[in-house]
Amino acid sequence: MSDLADLARVSASLGPDALSELRARAAEQFARDGFPTTRAEDWKYTDLKLAQSVTLDALGGSDAESLATIDLPDIDAHWLVIVNGRPVTPSSAAAGGAQISLLSEANLDLRYDLPLSDLNLALLSDGLHIRIPEGITVDKPIGLLFIDSSGDRPLAVQGRVIVDVETSAVVDIVEVHNSSGAGTVFANNLLELNIADAGHASHTRLQLRDREHAHTARLQVACGRDSVFRHFALDSGGKLARNDLTVDLSHAGADVEFNGLFLVDQDQHVDNHTRVDHRVGPATSSQEYRGIIRGRAVWNGKAIVHEGADGTDATQSNHNLLLTAGADINAKPELEIYAEDVKCAHGTTVGQLDDNAVFYLRSRGLDTDQARQLMTQAFAASVAASNPIDECQALIDTHIESSLNALLRRGDH
Amino acid sequence: MLEINNLKATVGDTEILHGVDLSVNAGEVHAIMGPNGSGKSTLAQVIAGRDDYVVTNGSVTLDGTDLLGLEPEERAHEGVFLGFQYPVEIPGVNNAYLLKAAVNAKRAHQGEDEIDAFEFLKLAKEKMALLGMDPKFLNRGVNEGFSGGEKKRNEILQMAMLEPRLAILDETDSGLDIDALKAVAEGVNALRNADRAIVLVTHYQRLLDYIQPDFVHVLSDGRIVRSGDKTLATELEQKGYDWLKEAANA
Repeated sequence: MSDLADLARVSASLGPDALSELRARAAEQFARDGFPTTRAEDWKYTDLKLAQSVTLDALGGSDAESLATIDLPDIDAHWLVIVNGRPVTPSSAAAGGAQISLLSEANLDLRYDLPLSDLNLALLSDGLHIRIPEGITVDKPIGLLFIDSSGDRPLAVQGRVIVDVETSAVVDIVEVHNSSGAGTVFANNLLELNIADAGHASHTRLQLRDREHAHTARLQVACGRDSVFRHFALDSGGKLARNDLTVDLSHAGADVEFNGLFLVDQDQHVDNHTRVDHRVGPATSSQEYRGIIRGRAVWNGKAIVHEGADGTDATQSNHNLLLTAGADINAKPELEIYAEDVKCAHGTTVGQLDDNAVFYLRSRGLDTDQARQLMTQAFAASVAASNPIDECQALIDTHIESSLNALLRRGDH
Repeated sequence: MLEINNLKATVGDTEILHGVDLSVNAGEVHAIMGPNGSGKSTLAQVIAGRDDYVVTNGSVTLDGTDLLGLEPEERAHEGVFLGFQYPVEIPGVNNAYLLKAAVNAKRAHQGEDEIDAFEFLKLAKEKMALLGMDPKFLNRGVNEGFSGGEKKRNEILQMAMLEPRLAILDETDSGLDIDALKAVAEGVNALRNADRAIVLVTHYQRLLDYIQPDFVHVLSDGRIVRSGDKTLATELEQKGYDWLKEAANA
């Protein structure tokens, strides 16, 4: 954003409506704080300059006419579509037991506590609120399709969705991010997922943006007593992608697992930051992230076991395959333990394909390319198989295969 | 069929093979025995094409084809099979997938169509039954979490599926209990035929009780120091290897 002084003006131009006051407060806050810089510990390795090159005037309007031509992903789901930051779903709808409304009509307390969340709210046209009422199991996944199309002008878009999974409700959420257009896109998204007692939420995100575009996404999860959260994310698109996942475990019995795979070509930068707060026990969290890297990647997994969170079981792992000498990963597990009776483990590996295994496969008649492809695919598949939503497995596998083909085709140069 | 002449090979600055000569005809089973560090495994790996070793002299031909000029996969296509002493675990690569890819790579080389999925499964299950392997191993990662015996059976399964012209089995008996050893030996014996040559690399005579070799060679310090029939193996079992070293140095 070239000119922060414009922020208040642009923010105000989105109203007046029910969100006007929140937007104005968030705009003020963001004007004070600005974008995070590499001086901040959490942003040490990721520079948001690319995102900031998008001017505020480039706020996207929804191109309603083009909606008819939207290709929904090949997944059987209740699709909700957000085009250039504007929900194009009917203002209220019911989908397989879920209730959907616009954020401007939902009368919720929208958070604006971090710079990018502030920016998101300051420039938010509108968002979606999805409520899964008590005891309801949604009949098939809810799909969130984000399509951002810049045309030839740069575009900044904000997407925000809040999902409330009420007591004992069950839902699968598939989130797909696509973008296109010659102009730079900076998409800044926030998904809030509140899982009540004994609720069960699965969430899979496919980030498939244009290779010139930038993407920041925060997923904030709060888990109720005996709730279950499962998550898998694939990052294969974008020039710059930064994902923040925070999980708050304030109630006993929660069981969470979140995993991710990032496929990073030489001109790409992908950063995953996760943080899980074990505030009470017993509770279980595990995460596994895998990277196949020709470009630049960052993984930072933090688990904090707070005082009194006895019975915590937390594991973190990150495994990376570097495809070339120029590939780069900053991988850092962080465990902070202030409780007594806990089980915590972490492991990080960075390596190349095992020559021994390549020779083994070649001795069976596979050529070098086949051997490398097979092993790389296996490396990816071992975490991709943890995707909790069967309906999107085929789409995930297809994207992994095509991305890996491109990554490996470049050879060793 | 397999002709090795004055083969010398080094790893780093160290010469391991100091001039090996060996001739193996179709239909024969040869055992190469020798103490640890004599170069047995090196010989096996050099024939299969491992590039950790540099061949500095000599030739290796299979049916007149120069193997040393070929990539490992091309050697496999020509009919060379190496049963590994330490089969590699490849997590996530499905055993069935590898078997099928290997069979199809060979078929493609021979100008044949890919194997039909049904035919493949039938064949694989047939061979597994022969080796006393549970069909569920097809759906596991290649050697992933397999016991020592399971890994060796899996090597023989691959061999059975690929029907090589020349099979070199490197320490196939190591780490096997008696039941696994019998199963592996039965699998190998079932694959003996007039068109195929088998080279067993082994430290102990035990395997040769179950797979009777036509010829036994003793490799010591990178050279074949003695050849004979299967009675040589028994002699080695009784006397150890030292007398041969002394004889060679005399």
